[in-house]
Amino acid sequence: MHPRTVTPTAAARTRRRVRPGGVLRHGLAVVVALAFLAPLLWSVRVSLATPGDVYQFPPKIFGAWDFSHYPRAWAARPWLRYFGNTVFIAGCVVALTITTSLMAGFAFALMKFRGRGILFGLCMAVMMVPQTVLLVPNFVIAQTLGLYDTYLIQILPWAASVFGIFLMRQFFVTLPGELFEAAELDGAGVWRMLFSVAAPLARPPMILVALNSFMGSWNSFVWPYLMTRREEIRPIEVGLQTFYGAEGTDWNGLTAAITFTTLPVIVIFLFLQRYFVHGVYGVEGGVRG
Amino acid sequence: MTSTAASRRHRRRPLNSAWGYVLVAPAMLVFAVFSIGPTVFAFGISLFDWNYLNAAKSTFVGLENYLRLADLDRDPSFLQTMGVSLYFVGAMVIGGTVMSLALAMLMRRATKLMLAARASVFLAHVTPIVATSLVWIWIYNPRFGLANGVLHLFGMDSLDWLGSRSTAMISIIVYTLWHEVGFTMIIFVGGLATISGELSEAARVDGATGLKEFWYITLPQLTGYVIFVVVIGSIASLHAFTQFFMLTGGGPDHATATLGYQLYQQAFVFRKTGYGAALAVVLFTICAVLSLSQLRLSRRLNRTD
Repeated sequence: MHPRTVTPTAAARTRRRVRPGGVLRHGLAVVVALAFLAPLLWSVRVSLATPGDVYQFPPKIFGAWDFSHYPRAWAARPWLRYFGNTVFIAGCVVALTITTSLMAGFAFALMKFRGRGILFGLCMAVMMVPQTVLLVPNFVIAQTLGLYDTYLIQILPWAASVFGIFLMRQFFVTLPGELFEAAELDGAGVWRMLFSVAAPLARPPMILVALNSFMGSWNSFVWPYLMTRREEIRPIEVGLQTFYGAEGTDWNGLTAAITFTTLPVIVIFLFLQRYFVHGVYGVEGGVRG
Repeated sequence: MTSTAASRRHRRRPLNSAWGYVLVAPAMLVFAVFSIGPTVFAFGISLFDWNYLNAAKSTFVGLENYLRLADLDRDPSFLQTMGVSLYFVGAMVIGGTVMSLALAMLMRRATKLMLAARASVFLAHVTPIVATSLVWIWIYNPRFGLANGVLHLFGMDSLDWLGSRSTAMISIIVYTLWHEVGFTMIIFVGGLATISGELSEAARVDGATGLKEFWYITLPQLTGYVIFVVVIGSIASLHAFTQFFMLTGGGPDHATATLGYQLYQQAFVFRKTGYGAALAVVLFTICAVLSLSQLRLSRRLNRTD
């Protein structure tokens, strides 16, 4: 044991000294994290392996590298078109969802009008309806309205989100009322209060809503798969499924396509992951009613 | 004071104006056209022998589509579908809740490493189901797959993961847990951040250790979160579709044909739109009951808090 002078920092350090359980916990967490990453890393490995190594048992981790599968997979389908469609659809969905959530969240949080409670209750009830229930009736409706096989049918149903409205409302409720009284004295109307006072403050929930609807839009499959037929307007995941249907046995090429179609989502998530890992979802999702 | 308040009330204040209706209108319109309306419409369709090529040629059959649900000779019968669903939902709810709670407890301290570990687990949830289902199809490949490679390491025989009746559902459950646990873990992490450390400290002073402290002190404070996770977990698993479509197509021999998958199969493959709509109504009813009971339970909890 060293003789030590007890400075405040040293005292703090002893108090926060790593307990033996702490090392074990961190070790276990690393193992769990790697186990969750393993399927994704494995997919990348297969996309860079030689065909000979892929069709071998037991699977080879330290085989040779082969970069030829990416250009081959890229050339096999109109990926650029799929990417463009997905970016266009997701962009529209995000812009519309942010706008509708901002407006409705503001009104439900701060404005007084008759029937507000009922309308908000109706919004919450929409959350109870799972998407699968809507497939059959919306298919019929889409055909009747002439929306079948269009971009619009891939955008409009997702132009509003209960999650978004709820999150915005929760945020606006916490803003001090004086803010809007001051704006009112300045002669601001509702729209100026919303877009010049409230919206600039609402960046954090806006990012969450945007991210949520972007991911939902990028990852969506059943809906565009059933509601569209033309290759030119279909999004990336439907394209990937078609590729699997056509080239189901070329696992080098398939894993290459999986990698380049999934990479954008992963990159965006990594940039914004700090908004998730602290558990905001649970707290702001208002679990405790 | 009173006179200014009165005069202010006299003037129409912007936040009390009818603009409120205009602001909620776009969102409400979307919900009305694409959610609320269709839910009612689904009930309507379920009363018809619906002609998917020409809706005008549909014939009203009353409750016939619902009577078919009781027909045990259908392949698969509704009873079998519900049994398969219950297997999947039960495993997902129990396995998912226990796993995500354990992960949240493990990673509850917000050190740099723990935050990175949380991000890695959550990352799986962010990936598209089509893409990662494909990854797992290859992992489950009976001849060259990684899953059998792992079995091989332990000296066990290879399995036909997705191709045999006994392992197909388990394989899908493992994939779905991998994909969903990150999300519910984050909900519990949020819950753990809100509970007081004082109680746990007091319990530790009284000599409670690890598991006991968790069971008697931590878990009761998380009840609201557990209910929430159980309910959203059961709803999500009931209508899960994409992983079944990709991994097994409901097979082998309907062993993985859950309610969500059957609905698609009946309505869009066999073009039995009316029967599919009846299944949708059943699905909606179950989900509504689950959501309402969650609302009830969490209200009661909040009142006793």
